[in-house]
Amino acid sequence: MSLFGTTTGFGAGGTGVFGATTTDSHNPMKDVEVTSPPDDSISCLAFSPPTMPGNFLIGGSWANDVRCWEVQDNGQTVPKAQQMHTGPVLDVCWSDDGSKVFTASCDKTAKMWDLNSNQAMQIAQHDGPIKSIHWVKAPNYSCIMTGSWDKTLKFWDTRSPNPMLSLPMTERCYCADVVYPMAVLATADRGLIVYQLENQPSEFRRIDSPLKHQHRCVAIFKDKQNKPTGFALGSIEGRVAIHYINPPNPAKDNFTFKCHRSNGTNTATPQDIYAVNAISFHPVHGTLSTVGSDGRFSFWDKDARTKLKTSEQLDQPITACAFNSNGNIFAYASSYDWSKVRGANEAHAAVGRKLYGEGGPDTPTGPSPFTVGLTLGCYCHLHTEEQGFLSWLHTIRFYLCNLC
Amino acid sequence: MMAEGVDAEWELSKENIQPLKRGRDVSVLHQALSQQQDGPSSAVSQQKQSFESELRLYNGEDPLDVWDRYVKWTEQTFPQGGKESNLSMLLERAVTLFTEEKRYHNDPRYVDLWIKFAEICPEPLEIYSYMQAQRIGGSQASFYIAWSEEYERQGNSRKADNAYQEGFNNFAEPRDKLLQFHKGLQARVSRQVMTSMADKDSDEESNEPERMSLIDLKHRGKKKAIVPINRVRAVLGHNARALQSRRAPAPSRAENSCFLVFDENKCPEAVTSDPKLEPWAAPPPARAKENEQKPEKWCDVKMPQKSRFGHKIIAPPLAKPSFQPFVEESDEPPTMTPCKINPAVNTVLSSRKPRLEETPLKRLQEHRSHLLLQKQQPATQGGKPQEKSAYCKELLFSGATEFCFEELRAERYRQKMAQETEGRAQPGQSSTDPTQH
Repeated sequence: MSLFGTTTGFGAGGTGVFGATTTDSHNPMKDVEVTSPPDDSISCLAFSPPTMPGNFLIGGSWANDVRCWEVQDNGQTVPKAQQMHTGPVLDVCWSDDGSKVFTASCDKTAKMWDLNSNQAMQIAQHDGPIKSIHWVKAPNYSCIMTGSWDKTLKFWDTRSPNPMLSLPMTERCYCADVVYPMAVLATADRGLIVYQLENQPSEFRRIDSPLKHQHRCVAIFKDKQNKPTGFALGSIEGRVAIHYINPPNPAKDNFTFKCHRSNGTNTATPQDIYAVNAISFHPVHGTLSTVGSDGRFSFWDKDARTKLKTSEQLDQPITACAFNSNGNIFAYASSYDWSKVRGANEAHAAVGRKLYGEGGPDTPTGPSPFTVGLTLGCYCHLHTEEQGFLSWLHTIRFYLCNLC
Repeated sequence: MMAEGVDAEWELSKENIQPLKRGRDVSVLHQALSQQQDGPSSAVSQQKQSFESELRLYNGEDPLDVWDRYVKWTEQTFPQGGKESNLSMLLERAVTLFTEEKRYHNDPRYVDLWIKFAEICPEPLEIYSYMQAQRIGGSQASFYIAWSEEYERQGNSRKADNAYQEGFNNFAEPRDKLLQFHKGLQARVSRQVMTSMADKDSDEESNEPERMSLIDLKHRGKKKAIVPINRVRAVLGHNARALQSRRAPAPSRAENSCFLVFDENKCPEAVTSDPKLEPWAAPPPARAKENEQKPEKWCDVKMPQKSRFGHKIIAPPLAKPSFQPFVEESDEPPTMTPCKINPAVNTVLSSRKPRLEETPLKRLQEHRSHLLLQKQQPATQGGKPQEKSAYCKELLFSGATEFCFEELRAERYRQKMAQETEGRAQPGQSSTDPTQH
């Protein structure tokens, strides 16, 4: 609590105001929902680093705000603070010491949010919306890496208005991940670029995409020595590729798997394929979670090449996910992700209805709640290294509140 | 000074500018060329991006309008054509998108897109037939004109004329234009016929042996065989005599040696065009006979030919030479040099494998049959469970580049914001805005 000098909570009276509508949200697993979720789709989630005591969750949204919650051990979430951008927030990240949060937005700027003082200042500027932001902590320098739709990748010293380094890309940045000393960027037109960050960031290798469809999310995984060794790449057509940077046997070690599809056993109807919206790796076990537009999240073991668990299906897409630093909390955000727009006209019609008919928020799907679900999993961790997967004997779920 | 520099630039890169039927705007051209020197500017990519998002988020009555403007802008902005313009992909997407929209089928803009698309296709005629089958542009004069011009380009003036007839039968509009172009075609064809007739006449004249002057014969094509100046009628008339008698003496070169060789230096009067002065070893062929082939250019014999009297002459096969022709060893397939590399492994210079036949037309037809199939039976196909993308694929991949969900949504957000600020700037007007009620 002392961390935040000013405890400016948002949504004054939080639960009380919205308490009446709690039953609307679709929560088949009865997960904990954070109090005072944003008013529009959640685009990104990030848990505080292990250097910080306690668990703090940051979420950015299309309502232009970034919110911070404290997740207490009993599953209670306490809204702590929020900051605004002048455009939708597309990505957030923490500094390694947990004192600052960096946010990237469609308003073409990135901000540094000092949680101690609750002050935010602009630290980066692009010619287009910034899609990804990552904190780079090297032994000899630390900086912020921003990837934008203006086809540049920039590195910023937070004290200077000008970038330390600006690297041109052939296409727009769609997603990125950083685990020092490796950064991987997936771009439009199925581009994949790996950067090395030692001494000075530089392009390390361009990789032919292992996937046939548009890249949507990427996450770096580590080897047993805790060094980055490869990445998992998700596409808009229900598939994830596991790709090693220097595999001993590329043909065998690299593989792809299908996910986030409707049940394929029923051949009477075509199989629906959904976008993989986010991938995150478990900080301890190295298993990975994927979330998709089908409204499910799944856990996978890439080494055993097995699926560990799939969630119940929510009534809306899951847009973001994150593990906390010790891996006992998995947070996922259920929001509208714009994937169901069947055509511009239709979208407009829906928007029109909402704007002029019902007066609800401007979202094409209707009055859907935007919720952050927290699976507070007590991963009763029975697995041995040989088995290589998690078992989920006890999953404690709290259903606290629900808004909108 | 500045203007001069720009002019010079335009002059310098003239041959790189693709011709456009509508012509080019000089100022746009200058701009495009100067940008090409500096690399792709942010202004162009921004404009392109705005077109791309407009394609996706357009919600008015006339989506074709955006495509039309986008294509025209692309043509003007990328005067050199090329890959980065993405014009071919753009055209293909545009024509594919509206194949089901009956109201556009005779829209001059849509027909124009089709014609542009056909012109960049390897087989334009196929596209035109497809258009006709789909009744696209059936009442547009421009369609028949483009079709006819394509036939004309391929040298089929009859079909070119038929295309116009088709246009008249279908009452294509504007009729004046169609008439005008049809007249143009007729004029060209008749001129062609005239010139070819004139050519024929002159050919026939030159075929007269009297006209032969003893100059080097022009070689044709790549063959540089030089014909000796000292030629005799026998050489020229060889074909003719072969006609006359099957037992014609074999190769003329061999014959040459037994002739009295005519030397122009010794008897300059022999240069006269009268061939009868030449001493012949063999009697000249009878000249008054009917059905005899006239002597003609011996290096360019076409068969069958028409004689002067309109009879068809079918040339009998030439008598086979009685000796074994000497064949240079090098003419044989060269013996293989010992190959050290296993040819199965060495694929560096292997011939390109025939690619899967995928013409734009095929893609179109596939798209159409796919649509039909979806309408009829959305179920399985070939026992394999069909896959369906559960997201707005057609929006992501609409124009020449792809978008992600966030880009679409951000663009929508931007538009909304722009509208709001506009509304705030003019509060008086926004209150009268009908959409507000």
